[in-house]
Amino acid sequence: MRLFISTIIILISISSTKADTIYNIIKIPNLEIYKIDNSNGLKYLRATKPFQVGIRNDNVTCFNSDIKNIEKKFQLIQKNLNIYQPNFLKKINLKYIVLCENLSVSEIDAAGVPNFKMKTLIIDINFNKKYFERIVHHEVFHIINDSFKDYFNEKEWKSYNPKNFEYAECSTCTDRINLSTIKKTNGFLTEYSMSTASEDMAEVFSFLVYDKKKVDEKLINDAILKNKTSFIKNNILKISNNFSFSK
Amino acid sequence: MIKKIKQTISEKILLTFLILLGIGFFGSYGLIKNKCLFVKKYDPQKLKFEKPENIAILNVPCGNVIIELNPNVAPNSVKRFKILIRSGEYNNVAFHRVIKNVLVQAGDLEFGKKDNLNYSYIGTGKSSLGTIDSELDKPFDFKKGSVALARTSEKNTEDSQFFILLKDAPLFEGEYSPLGKVIYGLDVLKKIKYNDKVEFVLRPDFINSFKMLK
Repeated sequence: MRLFISTIIILISISSTKADTIYNIIKIPNLEIYKIDNSNGLKYLRATKPFQVGIRNDNVTCFNSDIKNIEKKFQLIQKNLNIYQPNFLKKINLKYIVLCENLSVSEIDAAGVPNFKMKTLIIDINFNKKYFERIVHHEVFHIINDSFKDYFNEKEWKSYNPKNFEYAECSTCTDRINLSTIKKTNGFLTEYSMSTASEDMAEVFSFLVYDKKKVDEKLINDAILKNKTSFIKNNILKISNNFSFSK
Repeated sequence: MIKKIKQTISEKILLTFLILLGIGFFGSYGLIKNKCLFVKKYDPQKLKFEKPENIAILNVPCGNVIIELNPNVAPNSVKRFKILIRSGEYNNVAFHRVIKNVLVQAGDLEFGKKDNLNYSYIGTGKSSLGTIDSELDKPFDFKKGSVALARTSEKNTEDSQFFILLKDAPLFEGEYSPLGKVIYGLDVLKKIKYNDKVEFVLRPDFINSFKMLK
């Protein structure tokens, strides 16, 4: 019995406390509130020190950013996320946006890391300027997809693709990473769309929300893309029938 | 014959100084040991309340904490809390989770009782009443002194455990079911035993009693 109690005391003594109320909610250390009085209820947090989190070996790493750098990017992020209504955000389970820089997952650079269970989206504010705004919506889609897995059936999605086309096994185990729009789309808006089904869906969603004009142009000569956009639109409208894709 | 030696003035001063030093030392030792010495005491009988039926008196080692419950924000949660308070279930229950200047948490009725404290499971215990749903829709300002029901990482798992904030936590709005606010005696809670390194406390302080005023 003494040995048992001693073991418990030792275990308690060697585990360090991460005593703060933000960690208590989203299990990410070293954060502070950046802005929480937003019209759609999103709470923006910023890293004050680097942090490491993740289900496997703390594989998500991000660094704190200079406050001036955050101020510069915040307007862009807020403008893009403000298109989502409070009810929609509640349904998809997104509440906290963590702003940091040089985000990586298992040492591979990432624009964002969604975690719908924690209602959190981590955004790298230093991500490529050219695609930054659109990618915010891309990452939001991953939250949507995780919250409504049944709606976004990958088997059905894959059935729209050209015959013999195969996605890669995962989004990080392929060199199809270019985010520029492909001239002759043939069902895929970007090279990154060809990585996995969920990335493909996220790309279509992000264009529909951020640059619908471009999608509409491509649809004229692309039946596959037409099916894919209909699929995304219909399922998003199932979640919220007043969701607006037009900018 | 023994010759009497008279004390010089400087010897007398030295002796007086040593006596005073001794008194000071033992006196301050007593003061330091009494952690409740400078904590203001509140007697609910001497205070006036607008809605005495919503006033709960939490008595802990350093005195009374007077809580005003707000059934308008989270009616089922407050109802559950009142039931447990009136039944005396919270008496002799540990403050098992204490984060210095952040929050104190108590209410584990299964593993946190003084006569049946279980360090292996404390914080995971339940009441015999079962869990209730989270009540998160109404606005509530989670300022210092706010009282709310604790839960597991999943929603709708509230039961008997509750926490009291020692600092503002605006992000708790929409996350935890609010019960009310401490209106007197927040300093009393700052004296609850904590551990600097971990949230869970060995040999914790206990709730002496928890009663409704009416």
